[in-house]
Amino acid sequence: MNAVTPDAVQDFLREYVAKYLRGQGREVPADLSDDCDLLLSGYVDSLGLLELMTAIQDHFGSEIDFDQLDAEQMTIVGPLRRFIADQLNKR
Amino acid sequence: MQRALWSGFLRSSETFADRPALFAESKFLKYSELRREACRVAATIQAHVDPAETTLTAVFAYRTPTAFIGVLGSLLAGNGYVPLNRTFPIERTQVMLERSRSRSIVVDEGSLPQLNKLLETASAPLLVLTPDALDFTSYKEQWPQHTFLAGHELEPAETWREPTLEVDSIAYLLFTSGSTGIPKGVAVAQRNVTVFLDYMVERYEITESDRLSQMFDMTFDLSVFDMFVAWERGACVFCPSQKTLIKPGKFIKDSELTIWFSVPSTAVFMKQLGMLKPAQYPSLRLSLFCGEPLPISSATAWLEAAPNSTLENLYGPTELTIACTLYRWDPVRSLAESELGIVPIGYPYPNMRVLVVDDNLLEVSPGQEGELLMNGPQTSLGYWNDPAKTAAAFIVPPGKNEIYYRTGDRVRRPRGDAPLTHLGRIDSQVKIFGHRVELGEVESKVRDSCGFDGVVAVGWPRTESGFGGVEVFIEGPESALEKLRSAVAKDLPEYMVPRRFHFMDRLPRNANNKYDRKAMQKLLEEGL
Repeated sequence: MNAVTPDAVQDFLREYVAKYLRGQGREVPADLSDDCDLLLSGYVDSLGLLELMTAIQDHFGSEIDFDQLDAEQMTIVGPLRRFIADQLNKR
Repeated sequence: MQRALWSGFLRSSETFADRPALFAESKFLKYSELRREACRVAATIQAHVDPAETTLTAVFAYRTPTAFIGVLGSLLAGNGYVPLNRTFPIERTQVMLERSRSRSIVVDEGSLPQLNKLLETASAPLLVLTPDALDFTSYKEQWPQHTFLAGHELEPAETWREPTLEVDSIAYLLFTSGSTGIPKGVAVAQRNVTVFLDYMVERYEITESDRLSQMFDMTFDLSVFDMFVAWERGACVFCPSQKTLIKPGKFIKDSELTIWFSVPSTAVFMKQLGMLKPAQYPSLRLSLFCGEPLPISSATAWLEAAPNSTLENLYGPTELTIACTLYRWDPVRSLAESELGIVPIGYPYPNMRVLVVDDNLLEVSPGQEGELLMNGPQTSLGYWNDPAKTAAAFIVPPGKNEIYYRTGDRVRRPRGDAPLTHLGRIDSQVKIFGHRVELGEVESKVRDSCGFDGVVAVGWPRTESGFGGVEVFIEGPESALEKLRSAVAKDLPEYMVPRRFHFMDRLPRNANNKYDRKAMQKLLEEGL
């Protein structure tokens, strides 16, 4: 199986957030920077983040133990995508 | 005799002065501390605002001690509280503050960045209290018409005087999303809430050693349960930060919660994220769900993870005060009592009466479906400053002498001792070429066939007489479409078979996190 790169995760996150915001009739950002906090920026709420995590698992086809990642970091694009890529490539 | 909503807290603050009342922002607040801070806020409102001008205080605070101090401070000042939420669009918050006609507002530090924007649309002078802030100079210069008081400027707790309770004294004003898109304020009286609390603390035998979750934002009325059920009996309410909310399993364990209360969606996601492994949460003795249909699969998975817990499904619109029916899950009986794969909503609270009616508001026979109407001491005061909307929803059915609230929910009138089962919303029934179609039925079939819990059916496209068919939105990755279509088609008449399936990572939801069918229809209008 090919390694999942942080960039592939980034593409997924961008697409997910765009779909979510469009569903709410809101403006879609051009890109998600690494320091963007998905929660504090209001892109997703806390229940939305749980959904995002299940979507990530479904998309990449593997259970991820998000408890390994600190809650403060988990909502920030850079640490989140690197963590997910790491976790997926461990398997 | 009628008692005030604050009375239980005051009693606990004397009996359990040194026990924790609240955990928020990583620290505990003892009952005595919470009481002192709340009394300072209350005394300050009493000293500055003429009670003839308003009976409400806004609380613009999010998951901080100040949020809870603001709620109690408003009540102790003799006012109802109006929760505002910085995670909502500011335009919505502006409308809520203006419509409430509050003359005082408690703001926490995290909400301050939105304060200037909020004040732009404030039409009357406001008393702005920020217990967290030290310096208000810049605000004072910019907004000479408003009064700003920082933490050290609040009145001492000793100057607080217990207010007199009127028969209709308001507990809180909450805004629900109106079908027109303009939020409707629901005014709930203290007497509505105390009758609810009395039943809950008795039924659940709450004690000072209980530790309750506070998953709900204060703009969702289920939060009232968490705070006031805890404070009635000297228990502690644990309020996770916005970031801790995304790790609910860790939150239960770290806080050693004994009582859990959330929307079913949280359980659904926890299950999918592998957070409901067997016996993970032994500390829980009670698990409550409310706010949307509870799938059986989520309830059973939850009970495996929380084996020492009783599980109850609660039901209730804001207009009937938090919750007004409930159902205790029973591993032997419940499967047979459920319909459409959804846990029943059960039985009315004591003193609440159920009436299941047809389109003419006449009671249907046992076993038949109809709209749920309810009446009793939890019937709220109605919509704030909106007699027309109140009259439309709070009605006296033919042959009755009392006001019933029309819930808009479709239920089956029980036969004998059977529980009430929730079948969907009245507005989720559509006509397709003259056939009455219950969208909940389509959703249930699709849910069974695809294995995802997040399924919403909408009527589409619109025709003069209703709709031309059904389309279905599924929360999940696109999967074996043809298999799904044929599985669903096997069980449904042709006009009910979804014409298209739309897979989305996240379905549109409203401010209270419920699926927003109208938003999905809008996506279709825009040519999805």
